[in-house]
Amino acid sequence: MTVEWQAALDAVIQHPLFFVGLTLGVYQLAVAAYEKTRWIILQPLLISMVVLIAVLLALDIDYVNYKQGTQLLTLILGPATVALAVPLYLNVRRVRQVLWPTLITLFVGGLFATVLGVALAWAFGAETMILKTIAPKSVTSPIAMLVAEEMGGSASLAAVFVMITGILGAMIGVELLRVFRITNTAAQGMALGIIAHGIGTARALQESEESGAFAALAMSVMGVLTAVLMPLAVALIA
Amino acid sequence: MLLRGLSWLVAFQLAGTALNVLFFPVIPGPIIGLVLLFIYLMLRGGVNESLNEAAASLLRYLPLLLVPPAIGVMAHMDDIKADFWAIIGALVISLLVSMVFIGWLMQTLINRQARNKGKL
Repeated sequence: MTVEWQAALDAVIQHPLFFVGLTLGVYQLAVAAYEKTRWIILQPLLISMVVLIAVLLALDIDYVNYKQGTQLLTLILGPATVALAVPLYLNVRRVRQVLWPTLITLFVGGLFATVLGVALAWAFGAETMILKTIAPKSVTSPIAMLVAEEMGGSASLAAVFVMITGILGAMIGVELLRVFRITNTAAQGMALGIIAHGIGTARALQESEESGAFAALAMSVMGVLTAVLMPLAVALIA
Repeated sequence: MLLRGLSWLVAFQLAGTALNVLFFPVIPGPIIGLVLLFIYLMLRGGVNESLNEAAASLLRYLPLLLVPPAIGVMAHMDDIKADFWAIIGALVISLLVSMVFIGWLMQTLINRQARNKGKL
Protein backbone atom coordinates (compact mmCIF):
# COMPACT_ATOMS: atom_id res chain seq x y z
CA MET A 1 0.00 0.00 0.00
CA THR A 2 1.37 3.44 -0.92
CA VAL A 3 0.79 6.37 1.35
CA GLU A 4 -0.73 9.28 -0.57
CA TRP A 5 1.20 12.13 1.06
CA GLN A 6 0.77 14.48 -1.84
CA ALA A 7 -3.00 13.91 -2.05
CA ALA A 8 -3.39 14.54 1.66
CA LEU A 9 -1.32 17.73 1.48
CA ASP A 10 -3.37 19.01 -1.48
CA ALA A 11 -6.62 18.24 0.34
CA VAL A 12 -5.45 20.22 3.36
CA ILE A 13 -4.29 23.22 1.33
CA GLN A 14 -7.50 23.29 -0.70
CA HIS A 15 -9.79 22.97 2.31
CA PRO A 16 -11.94 26.13 2.76
CA LEU A 17 -10.60 26.53 6.29
CA PHE A 18 -6.89 26.25 5.42
CA PHE A 19 -6.19 29.98 5.15
CA VAL A 20 -8.26 30.75 8.25
CA GLY A 21 -6.24 28.14 10.16
CA LEU A 22 -2.96 29.48 8.82
CA THR A 23 -3.91 33.06 9.75
CA LEU A 24 -5.04 32.06 13.25
CA GLY A 25 -1.82 30.12 13.84
CA VAL A 26 0.51 32.87 12.63
CA TYR A 27 -1.41 35.55 14.55
CA GLN A 28 -1.18 33.65 17.82
CA LEU A 29 2.55 33.14 17.37
CA ALA A 30 2.91 36.88 16.72
CA VAL A 31 0.91 37.73 19.85
CA ALA A 32 3.07 35.33 21.89
CA ALA A 33 6.24 36.97 20.53
CA TYR A 34 4.90 40.43 21.43
CA GLU A 35 3.83 39.43 24.93
CA LYS A 36 7.14 37.78 25.64
CA THR A 37 9.33 40.66 24.49
CA ARG A 38 6.97 43.67 24.86
CA TRP A 39 8.86 45.36 22.04
CA ILE A 40 6.67 48.04 20.48
CA ILE A 41 7.95 47.16 17.04
CA LEU A 42 6.61 43.59 17.27
CA GLN A 43 2.98 44.62 16.65
CA PRO A 44 1.04 41.36 16.10
CA LEU A 45 -0.65 42.75 12.98
CA LEU A 46 2.67 43.80 11.44
CA ILE A 47 4.46 40.53 12.27
CA SER A 48 1.53 38.43 11.01
CA MET A 49 1.61 40.39 7.75
CA VAL A 50 5.31 39.83 7.19
CA VAL A 51 5.19 36.11 8.06
CA LEU A 52 2.03 35.36 6.05
CA ILE A 53 3.28 37.21 2.97
CA ALA A 54 6.50 35.18 3.15
CA VAL A 55 4.51 31.93 3.45
CA LEU A 56 2.19 32.83 0.54
CA LEU A 57 5.16 33.76 -1.65
CA ALA A 58 6.99 30.54 -0.72
CA LEU A 59 3.92 28.39 -1.51
CA ASP A 60 3.28 30.45 -4.68
CA ILE A 61 -0.29 31.29 -3.64
CA ASP A 62 -2.12 34.27 -5.15
CA TYR A 63 -3.53 36.99 -2.87
CA VAL A 64 -6.94 36.48 -4.51
CA ASN A 65 -7.07 32.87 -3.26
CA TYR A 66 -5.99 33.91 0.22
CA LYS A 67 -8.59 36.69 0.28
CA GLN A 68 -11.38 34.29 -0.68
CA GLY A 69 -10.20 31.79 1.89
CA THR A 70 -10.33 34.29 4.76
CA GLN A 71 -13.77 35.81 4.13
CA LEU A 72 -14.93 34.28 7.40
CA LEU A 73 -12.64 36.71 9.27
CA THR A 74 -13.22 39.70 7.00
CA LEU A 75 -17.01 39.47 7.44
CA ILE A 76 -16.75 40.14 11.18
CA LEU A 77 -14.72 43.31 10.54
CA GLY A 78 -17.89 45.37 9.90
CA PRO A 79 -19.56 44.68 13.27
CA ALA A 80 -16.13 45.06 14.97
CA THR A 81 -15.80 48.56 13.46
CA VAL A 82 -19.31 49.41 14.70
CA ALA A 83 -18.21 48.19 18.15
CA LEU A 84 -15.67 51.07 18.32
CA ALA A 85 -18.68 53.23 19.30
CA VAL A 86 -18.64 51.68 22.78
CA PRO A 87 -15.13 52.83 23.84
CA LEU A 88 -15.81 56.16 22.08
CA TYR A 89 -18.91 56.69 24.25
CA LEU A 90 -17.19 55.63 27.48
CA ASN A 91 -14.20 57.91 26.77
CA VAL A 92 -16.27 60.97 25.89
CA ARG A 93 -18.14 60.58 29.18
CA ARG A 94 -14.87 60.48 31.09
CA VAL A 95 -13.28 63.82 30.18
CA ARG A 96 -16.14 66.32 30.59
CA GLN A 97 -14.08 68.71 32.76
CA VAL A 98 -11.70 69.79 30.02
CA LEU A 99 -14.14 69.25 27.17
CA TRP A 100 -13.37 72.44 25.24
CA PRO A 101 -9.56 72.24 25.21
CA THR A 102 -9.95 68.60 24.23
CA LEU A 103 -12.34 69.24 21.35
CA ILE A 104 -10.37 72.21 19.99
CA THR A 105 -7.09 70.27 20.14
CA LEU A 106 -8.70 67.27 18.47
CA PHE A 107 -10.15 69.28 15.64
CA VAL A 108 -7.26 71.69 14.99
CA GLY A 109 -4.51 69.17 15.76
CA GLY A 110 -6.11 66.35 13.80
CA LEU A 111 -6.61 68.57 10.77
CA PHE A 112 -3.03 69.86 11.06
CA ALA A 113 -1.52 66.37 11.24
CA THR A 114 -3.56 65.13 8.28
CA VAL A 115 -2.92 68.14 6.03
CA LEU A 116 0.79 68.22 6.86
CA GLY A 117 1.23 64.52 6.01
CA VAL A 118 -0.51 64.83 2.65
CA ALA A 119 1.22 68.14 1.80
CA LEU A 120 4.68 66.71 2.52
CA ALA A 121 4.04 63.56 0.48
CA TRP A 122 2.79 65.75 -2.37
CA ALA A 123 5.82 68.06 -2.10
CA PHE A 124 8.09 65.01 -2.21
CA GLY A 125 6.42 63.95 -5.45
CA ALA A 126 4.30 60.96 -4.37
CA GLU A 127 1.53 59.71 -6.66
CA THR A 128 -2.15 60.55 -6.12
CA MET A 129 -2.94 57.01 -4.96
CA ILE A 130 -0.27 57.33 -2.24
CA LEU A 131 -1.60 60.75 -1.18
CA LYS A 132 -5.10 59.32 -0.70
CA THR A 133 -3.64 56.43 1.25
CA ILE A 134 -1.38 58.55 3.49
CA ALA A 135 -4.20 60.93 4.49
CA PRO A 136 -5.71 58.65 7.18
CA LYS A 137 -2.27 57.57 8.54
CA SER A 138 -2.98 58.72 12.11
CA VAL A 139 -6.28 56.86 12.43
CA THR A 140 -6.88 53.43 13.94
CA SER A 141 -6.37 50.73 11.27
CA PRO A 142 -9.98 49.53 10.62
CA ILE A 143 -11.16 53.09 9.99
CA ALA A 144 -8.06 54.12 8.03
CA MET A 145 -8.45 51.11 5.74
CA LEU A 146 -12.13 51.80 5.03
CA VAL A 147 -11.53 55.51 4.44
CA ALA A 148 -8.48 55.00 2.19
CA GLU A 149 -10.37 52.52 0.03
CA GLU A 150 -13.44 54.77 -0.13
CA MET A 151 -11.32 57.65 -1.48
CA GLY A 152 -9.53 55.55 -4.10
CA GLY A 153 -6.39 54.74 -2.11
CA SER A 154 -5.30 51.31 -0.94
CA ALA A 155 -6.67 49.71 2.24
CA SER A 156 -3.72 47.40 2.77
CA LEU A 157 -1.13 50.11 2.17
CA ALA A 158 -3.04 52.35 4.61
CA ALA A 159 -2.59 49.62 7.23
CA VAL A 160 1.17 49.75 6.69
CA PHE A 161 1.31 53.57 6.99
CA VAL A 162 -0.83 53.42 10.13
CA MET A 163 1.52 50.83 11.65
CA ILE A 164 4.67 52.83 10.84
CA THR A 165 3.16 56.04 12.27
CA GLY A 166 1.88 54.27 15.39
CA ILE A 167 5.12 52.44 16.16
CA LEU A 168 7.28 55.52 15.59
CA GLY A 169 4.97 57.76 17.61
CA ALA A 170 4.90 55.32 20.52
CA MET A 171 8.67 54.86 20.42
CA ILE A 172 9.73 58.52 20.47
CA GLY A 173 6.57 60.48 21.41
CA VAL A 174 7.01 60.78 25.17
CA GLU A 175 10.70 61.73 24.93
CA LEU A 176 10.02 64.21 22.11
CA LEU A 177 7.32 65.98 24.13
CA ARG A 178 9.59 66.12 27.16
CA VAL A 179 12.30 67.87 25.11
CA PHE A 180 9.75 70.60 24.24
CA ARG A 181 8.65 70.83 27.90
CA ILE A 182 5.19 69.44 27.28
CA THR A 183 4.70 67.70 30.61
CA ASN A 184 0.95 68.01 31.17
CA THR A 185 -0.36 64.43 31.22
CA ALA A 186 -3.55 65.30 29.33
CA ALA A 187 -1.53 67.03 26.59
CA GLN A 188 0.83 64.07 26.37
CA GLY A 189 -2.11 61.65 26.05
CA MET A 190 -3.79 63.76 23.37
CA ALA A 191 -0.62 63.93 21.26
CA LEU A 192 -0.07 60.17 21.50
CA GLY A 193 -3.72 59.30 20.79
CA ILE A 194 -4.26 61.69 17.87
CA ILE A 195 -1.02 60.77 16.10
CA ALA A 196 -0.30 57.21 17.12
CA HIS A 197 -3.85 55.80 17.68
CA GLY A 198 -3.98 52.42 19.49
CA ILE A 199 -0.24 51.88 19.75
CA GLY A 200 0.21 55.39 21.14
CA THR A 201 -2.62 54.79 23.60
CA ALA A 202 -0.88 51.68 24.92
CA ARG A 203 2.28 53.77 25.39
CA ALA A 204 0.35 56.56 27.13
CA LEU A 205 -1.13 54.01 29.56
CA GLN A 206 2.40 53.07 30.60
CA GLU A 207 2.99 56.72 31.59
CA SER A 208 -0.18 57.21 33.63
CA GLU A 209 -3.87 56.32 33.83
CA GLU A 210 -4.88 59.92 32.98
CA SER A 211 -2.59 60.09 29.97
CA GLY A 212 -4.05 56.80 28.75
CA ALA A 213 -7.64 58.02 29.14
CA PHE A 214 -6.96 61.11 27.03
CA ALA A 215 -5.12 59.06 24.43
CA ALA A 216 -8.02 56.62 24.17
CA LEU A 217 -10.48 59.47 23.78
CA ALA A 218 -8.31 61.25 21.22
CA MET A 219 -7.91 58.07 19.22
CA SER A 220 -11.64 57.30 19.07
CA VAL A 221 -12.77 60.84 18.26
CA MET A 222 -9.97 61.31 15.70
CA GLY A 223 -11.08 58.07 14.03
CA VAL A 224 -14.72 59.04 13.75
CA LEU A 225 -14.02 62.65 12.71
CA THR A 226 -11.69 61.44 9.96
CA ALA A 227 -14.09 58.73 8.81
CA VAL A 228 -16.96 61.17 8.44
CA LEU A 229 -15.24 64.40 7.38
CA MET A 230 -12.44 63.17 5.10
CA PRO A 231 -14.58 61.47 2.43
CA LEU A 232 -16.96 64.46 2.51
CA ALA A 233 -14.07 66.91 2.08
CA VAL A 234 -12.64 64.89 -0.80
CA ALA A 235 -16.09 64.68 -2.44
CA LEU A 236 -16.46 68.47 -2.17
CA ILE A 237 -13.01 69.21 -3.61
CA ALA A 238 -13.30 66.72 -6.48
CA MET B 1 -25.88 37.60 26.49
CA LEU B 2 -22.92 37.81 24.14
CA LEU B 3 -25.20 36.77 21.30
CA ARG B 4 -27.65 39.59 21.96
CA GLY B 5 -24.85 42.17 21.88
CA LEU B 6 -23.48 40.71 18.65
CA SER B 7 -26.95 40.88 17.10
CA TRP B 8 -27.14 44.58 17.93
CA LEU B 9 -23.74 45.20 16.34
CA VAL B 10 -24.78 43.35 13.18
CA ALA B 11 -28.09 45.25 13.11
CA PHE B 12 -26.28 48.61 13.34
CA GLN B 13 -23.84 47.57 10.62
CA LEU B 14 -26.77 46.63 8.33
CA ALA B 15 -28.57 49.90 9.11
CA GLY B 16 -25.32 51.69 8.21
CA THR B 17 -25.20 49.85 4.89
CA ALA B 18 -28.79 50.86 4.11
CA LEU B 19 -28.10 54.53 4.91
CA ASN B 20 -24.90 54.38 2.87
CA VAL B 21 -26.87 53.36 -0.22
CA LEU B 22 -29.76 55.74 0.49
CA PHE B 23 -28.10 59.00 1.58
CA PHE B 24 -24.34 58.91 2.24
CA PRO B 25 -22.57 57.16 -0.62
CA VAL B 26 -19.13 58.55 0.42
CA ILE B 27 -19.19 57.35 4.04
CA PRO B 28 -18.54 53.59 4.49
CA GLY B 29 -21.45 51.58 5.94
CA PRO B 30 -19.64 50.37 9.10
CA ILE B 31 -18.71 54.00 9.95
CA ILE B 32 -22.36 55.07 9.67
CA GLY B 33 -23.22 52.10 11.90
CA LEU B 34 -20.60 53.30 14.41
CA VAL B 35 -22.06 56.83 14.49
CA LEU B 36 -25.62 55.45 14.85
CA LEU B 37 -24.58 53.25 17.77
CA PHE B 38 -22.78 56.20 19.39
CA ILE B 39 -25.93 58.37 19.10
CA TYR B 40 -28.01 55.50 20.49
CA LEU B 41 -25.67 55.19 23.51
CA MET B 42 -25.78 58.97 24.12
CA LEU B 43 -29.60 58.94 24.06
CA ARG B 44 -29.78 55.86 26.24
CA GLY B 45 -27.18 57.24 28.67
CA GLY B 46 -25.29 53.98 29.20
CA VAL B 47 -23.96 50.76 27.71
CA ASN B 48 -25.82 47.57 28.62
CA GLU B 49 -23.85 44.52 29.60
CA SER B 50 -24.49 42.35 26.55
CA LEU B 51 -23.40 45.11 24.17
CA ASN B 52 -20.34 45.87 26.26
CA GLU B 53 -19.36 42.20 26.32
CA ALA B 54 -19.83 41.73 22.56
CA ALA B 55 -17.90 44.92 21.73
CA ALA B 56 -15.04 44.05 24.06
CA SER B 57 -14.71 40.52 22.64
CA LEU B 58 -14.70 41.70 19.03
CA LEU B 59 -12.29 44.58 19.68
CA ARG B 60 -9.91 42.24 21.46
CA TYR B 61 -9.41 40.40 18.18
CA LEU B 62 -9.49 43.45 15.93
CA PRO B 63 -5.83 43.12 14.82
CA LEU B 64 -6.53 39.50 13.77
CA LEU B 65 -9.52 40.57 11.68
CA LEU B 66 -7.32 43.15 9.96
CA VAL B 67 -4.67 40.65 8.88
CA PRO B 68 -6.38 39.41 5.67
CA PRO B 69 -7.05 42.86 4.16
CA ALA B 70 -3.57 44.00 5.18
CA ILE B 71 -1.93 41.13 3.30
CA GLY B 72 -3.17 42.88 0.14
CA VAL B 73 -0.06 45.06 0.44
CA MET B 74 1.63 42.24 -1.53
CA ALA B 75 0.07 43.76 -4.63
CA HIS B 76 1.53 47.21 -3.89
CA MET B 77 5.24 46.50 -3.61
CA ASP B 78 5.96 48.49 -6.79
CA ASP B 79 4.01 51.54 -5.58
CA ILE B 80 5.99 51.52 -2.33
CA LYS B 81 9.31 51.20 -4.16
CA ALA B 82 8.44 54.05 -6.54
CA ASP B 83 7.62 56.52 -3.74
CA PHE B 84 9.67 55.06 -0.90
CA TRP B 85 11.50 58.20 0.27
CA ALA B 86 8.49 60.47 -0.24
CA ILE B 87 6.44 58.15 1.99
CA ILE B 88 9.07 57.82 4.72
CA GLY B 89 9.83 61.55 4.66
CA ALA B 90 6.16 62.55 4.85
CA LEU B 91 5.38 60.06 7.63
CA VAL B 92 8.37 60.93 9.82
CA ILE B 93 8.40 64.74 9.45
CA SER B 94 4.63 65.14 9.84
CA LEU B 95 4.76 62.89 12.90
CA LEU B 96 7.49 64.93 14.63
CA VAL B 97 5.94 68.32 13.87
CA SER B 98 2.30 67.47 14.61
CA MET B 99 3.13 65.62 17.80
CA VAL B 100 4.83 68.68 19.29
CA PHE B 101 2.13 71.03 17.93
CA ILE B 102 -0.73 68.98 19.42
CA GLY B 103 0.98 68.60 22.80
CA TRP B 104 1.74 72.34 22.92
CA LEU B 105 -1.81 73.32 21.88
CA MET B 106 -3.50 71.13 24.50
CA GLN B 107 -1.14 72.26 27.27
CA THR B 108 -1.68 75.94 26.40
CA LEU B 109 -5.48 75.57 26.27
CA ILE B 110 -5.61 73.73 29.60
CA ASN B 111 -3.42 76.33 31.31
CA ARG B 112 -5.59 79.13 29.92
CA GLN B 113 -8.78 77.43 31.14
CA ALA B 114 -7.23 77.00 34.59
CA ARG B 115 -6.20 80.70 34.68
CA ASN B 116 -9.67 81.86 33.64
CA LYS B 117 -11.28 79.75 36.33
CA GLY B 118 -8.86 81.25 38.85
CA LYS B 119 -10.03 84.78 37.95
CA LEU B 120 -13.73 84.00 38.42
